[in-house]
Amino acid sequence: MIHLAKEDIRHTLGKFIVTAMGVGMLLGIVLIMIGVYRGMIADARVILDDLDVDLWVVQENTLGPFAEASRVHEDLKYTLKGYQAIDKSEAITLQSLQIPFGEKKLTVFAIGYDIYGEINPINKKRLIAGRVLQSDHYEIVVSDKTLYKLGDTMQLGRDIYTVVGITHGTVASGGDPLVYISLKDAQILQFTYTNKRIQTDRARGIINKDSHLVNAIIATVKPTYTIDDTAQELRTWLHKAVYTRTQQSDVLTKYVVEKASKQIGLFTVILITVATIIISLIIYTMTLEKMKEISIMKLIGLPNATIIKMIVEETLLLGILAFIFGNVFSHLIYTKFPKNVVLLTPDALTLFFIVVLASIVASFVGVRKVISADPRAAIGG
Amino acid sequence: MSTEQAIKVENLNKSFGKGDAFVDVIRDANFTINKGELVALIAPSGAGKTTLLMMLGCVDEPNSGTMWLGDEKVYKNKWLTKETRKIRREKIGFIFQAHYLIPFLNIIDNLTLLPQANKVKDADSKAKARELLNYFDIAEKEKAMPSQLSGGQNQRVAIARALMNNPQIILADEPTAALDMNRSVDVVKMLKKIALEQDVAIVMVTHDDRMLEYCDKIMKIEDKRVIFI
Repeated sequence: MIHLAKEDIRHTLGKFIVTAMGVGMLLGIVLIMIGVYRGMIADARVILDDLDVDLWVVQENTLGPFAEASRVHEDLKYTLKGYQAIDKSEAITLQSLQIPFGEKKLTVFAIGYDIYGEINPINKKRLIAGRVLQSDHYEIVVSDKTLYKLGDTMQLGRDIYTVVGITHGTVASGGDPLVYISLKDAQILQFTYTNKRIQTDRARGIINKDSHLVNAIIATVKPTYTIDDTAQELRTWLHKAVYTRTQQSDVLTKYVVEKASKQIGLFTVILITVATIIISLIIYTMTLEKMKEISIMKLIGLPNATIIKMIVEETLLLGILAFIFGNVFSHLIYTKFPKNVVLLTPDALTLFFIVVLASIVASFVGVRKVISADPRAAIGG
Repeated sequence: MSTEQAIKVENLNKSFGKGDAFVDVIRDANFTINKGELVALIAPSGAGKTTLLMMLGCVDEPNSGTMWLGDEKVYKNKWLTKETRKIRREKIGFIFQAHYLIPFLNIIDNLTLLPQANKVKDADSKAKARELLNYFDIAEKEKAMPSQLSGGQNQRVAIARALMNNPQIILADEPTAALDMNRSVDVVKMLKKIALEQDVAIVMVTHDDRMLEYCDKIMKIEDKRVIFI
């Protein structure tokens, strides 16, 4: 059996492959875009997953430190421990910092925690060098993305910090690398003013000695109690906003990465539309190049179905080949992106079906040209 | 030479347009061409050669009249079948000014493409193709691409393609237009031989009077009438 599409492609194999590679790069970028979104979701969950706590107690009428400013007193953790349902509770701070990065500054997301506490936000599995914090002051554990090495020092505020541990895969929802410092250091960095500011405040009659503030109290619930009921009870008595882990995860995805996801979604739709138009134009051009042959085929009596099958198969093959190239391309370059890019098989499969659908749509222009081809065009040179 | 009819035409008319744009092209054409005959079709440019060829090839629909291909009446004031393309596929062979082989198919695939559409078994169509390639002395080229063959070899393949569906008629549109005198004579002689040996009627449009001596009949369109000279 003669397979017209196969023979035609074989005849112009180089051109066909280069074209598929071009479209493939476009599809690769689509995959990367989806990967960036998946990366943001994954990044947003790093802190939640590593902390592995059931409840987040934050300033009343706020969504918590991931979405807006939240301040609660550190000693609230002791209040929580008074509840029968609470197993462990600790205070943490979450803040953006600028750390020296060569001659520039690098934005990092700092987690401050009580190094003697019951909940340690550093996931030991992510610790690739050094150790966790062991001193109340001037030690820092950094993500490998910061490019700092063990023993390196940096100035934060008025103090010099030494890198004692390196983690891998630790980023915040915005893609910024995570660093870990002691709660005391974090409170100094976040809540202690400069001497001049304290002087000015005193002159104005403002006396604010309290730096024992934190951004949230995190807690775990005893297995015999339900998390939702405990959260409700705390809301009733503490006059604080209390979120379960699921709710805090929703806050991250709904309020923090929602806009980004819409933007990426729109870009993805535009790119797929552009890819479809490009495939259509390529198929149209490929069909135009064969019009004489198509007229001859029609004149000698070949059914339209045979010729249309050739066009549709070529379009599908172009789409599928472009998809394969796109996958290879995206896997080759995704690590080069500054943000975390997570390439998932289900996303690739969804794109595959979209590409198949888009290829069928794209083949319509070629098919229309076949149907309108005049067999008389074969006669008379 | 067979006396079996390959084409019969009665009172065939063809015109284009209406009102001021009305053009009468063929008026009351009546003729019969038998199998085994090589018939030259001559006329000045624009006189209706291609139109007549397209009507005989079931591409253009006449306005009125009756037409037979072999014993089958295919037209009586309208096509008697919805699928004129099937008639072409099964009963008619075409030869063009250039070889017009499908450039992305090798020689044997160019030949077996049409039988494949006619649901002929692959082995049978390949056997027929090889037989014809032998006949035209180009058997060793069956795997070659058209671009690897000379002009003359390609034209022989094109003629072989026209014979693949065992046609009742072959319509040849100026098959020697692109050839020099010697090769033109070779092709026309070959067509004459094919007409006789394959028992097929060949209608050949030509502008070259030197080819007429090799034809059995000369059909001319003169003042919209089809006459034999």
